[in-house]
Amino acid sequence: MAIKVRVVERPVEDVSYIRATLRGMALTAKHLFDVNGRVTTQYPDEKSPISPRWRGTHRMLTTETGKAKCVACGLCPTVCPANCIKLVPGEDEEGNRYPLVFEIDEFRCIFCGYCQEVCPEEAIHVGRHYENSEYSREGFVYDLQRLMDQSHPVCEMWDPEDPKGE
Amino acid sequence: MAEKKMVNLTIEGRPVSVPDGTTILEAAKTAGILIPHYCYHPGLPIAGVCRMCLVEVEKAPKLAPSCATTVTEGQVVHVYSEKSLDARKGVLEMLLINHPLDCPICDQSGECELQDYTYQEGREDSRYREPKRFNPAEDFGGDVIYVPNRCILCTRCVRFMEDVAHEPTLNVSERGDRALIGKFEGRDMTHPWAANVIDLCPVGALLSKDFLNKARAWELDRASSICPNCTQGCNVIMETRENQIVRMRPRPNEEVNSFFMCDWGRLNYRWMNERNRVELPMVRRGDVFAPTTWEAAITAAARALNGKKVFVAASPMLSNEALFLLTQVMQGGTGAFRVTEGEEAPLAGVDDLALRRERAANVYGAEALGFTKTKDLLGGLKQGDVLVIAGEDLVGIDAGALTRASDIVVISSVLPEVTKSASVVLPIANFSEEEGTVTNLRGRVQRFTQARQAPGETRPSWLVLGDLLGALGKQSNFFLPSDVFARLAATNKSFAGLSYDTLGFKGLPLADAPKTAPKAPVAAGAA
Repeated sequence: MAIKVRVVERPVEDVSYIRATLRGMALTAKHLFDVNGRVTTQYPDEKSPISPRWRGTHRMLTTETGKAKCVACGLCPTVCPANCIKLVPGEDEEGNRYPLVFEIDEFRCIFCGYCQEVCPEEAIHVGRHYENSEYSREGFVYDLQRLMDQSHPVCEMWDPEDPKGE
Repeated sequence: MAEKKMVNLTIEGRPVSVPDGTTILEAAKTAGILIPHYCYHPGLPIAGVCRMCLVEVEKAPKLAPSCATTVTEGQVVHVYSEKSLDARKGVLEMLLINHPLDCPICDQSGECELQDYTYQEGREDSRYREPKRFNPAEDFGGDVIYVPNRCILCTRCVRFMEDVAHEPTLNVSERGDRALIGKFEGRDMTHPWAANVIDLCPVGALLSKDFLNKARAWELDRASSICPNCTQGCNVIMETRENQIVRMRPRPNEEVNSFFMCDWGRLNYRWMNERNRVELPMVRRGDVFAPTTWEAAITAAARALNGKKVFVAASPMLSNEALFLLTQVMQGGTGAFRVTEGEEAPLAGVDDLALRRERAANVYGAEALGFTKTKDLLGGLKQGDVLVIAGEDLVGIDAGALTRASDIVVISSVLPEVTKSASVVLPIANFSEEEGTVTNLRGRVQRFTQARQAPGETRPSWLVLGDLLGALGKQSNFFLPSDVFARLAATNKSFAGLSYDTLGFKGLPLADAPKTAPKAPVAAGAA
């Protein structure tokens, strides 16, 4: 059985492409002559500002003597929902507890910032940083030295006085 | 002794009936209420120094320390009344005046009673603004390290050394707010049971050097087990992190080890983590061992054993189940084992508790199952016998004796150095990697459970031996170690009537177990 197709007649101004094309060209022309100011950011020469609460790749803060602030308490690997922190505690020459191994797999990390929030020593932080590139996957497993070498600003998280960030 | 008179009282609105002379704290436990406490420990004499267990007793003029107050008929106790909560909150605030807030680096964190009770009943913050008292950490000798800043002076350790170990070593030095635990002149914590103070310490003041900074309490997986390091058979908890045993702690069992275990047993767990293991079943091809499938290896082993006279050199570390199946595999042959010996070290304050001379888990089980204890392990091996080496490492055995065997089958977790001539190697799990039972020196059969994953294709000993029995054409349908134990109970008179269900996790004695002196509760009621 043949299918019956009903052809709906529409007014010509609705189906004409000329009107739509002209409308589109008008928008393009408007941007061409810079009526509303520039929209494109010239990344990477120019960077858009990011929120002070931006959570990017990690950074380990150090003491005045250049040692990692981490005391290997084990709270960040415990709280980490992505299970991306590896920590092996040990003792340094002075008998203080410190991390023998501290590795963060930035690929597994979901950048929730719980590690920064839970850290009793304010050692591990998520950073205000988002440009990362490596030649291998292994390069994204940051060890302690690499985390200490990072110098980008860290996330300000939330202020208990001002939890909504106003 | 006549039955003790029962006393009826009410704790937190719940009627409780306990024998006369029970303390309120113990009575509350029967009602499911744990009254916070520090200085009280059921294995130690009562001191009543921490004041943490204060409860309100109706018609009493003031709050009573529940650890040192015995129950009386018709007493009404309020554990969580405003008055008692307030008193305990005050005690906690006082304890925290000088207690450092170094939980992130403290080994006790996560299993600390000060943390627990502060979280339950303590203040949210401290009102104390002055600098905290500081004393440096001190090495107490043995396995013990003392961090005085964290000490809450409950004196459990002092009482353990004095009243249980009967070797006064520790004391409370200084007075008032400067008080701390000190050692007597010329004494240190090298007593063979001294490391128990680490478990007794409710906070992180006494720590194990061996466990220091190794793991956090919440990372550990725990398994109920038996200490395999001597014939006493102390009940323990094996704690593992990333499949490695990192600590053993005593598990209370009034019939065997009370609340304690010796230092030697506690620290001798590394052999169970060994890495030089046989991980694949192997058969000999010419001069080398070739890895093969389990089916092929079991068939090869059955072919080697079938119809031959068998001599089994067993290890007293094997479970009752494995040893029983070995006796079945023997087919009328004989078995022998040897045991390493050390010095006996009793714990003076507890009856019939010692680090025993014979340093293996299942010496008495092996004897009960017909294995001969001998110094000359291969003495019974006759010319032309098939030798089965079961779990035995053969260290110090003359390789010359092995030439008497017509064939050698190794059923072991580590390949013995001298057995290059074996025809089949069947890898089995070690003590920490399988489930089973062992028999201690008083004939008490006790269960242990798996604490770690076995490496490679290693299988539990009872499973391997069950399959081997099947390949020899004998009845063998064991799906669980409890099936093997059921068969053992059905065929051996000493084990009659026992099963995994009736054993539970405290164990039961064999039908013909040697009589022991009845255990007196440790210094209960002494003040």
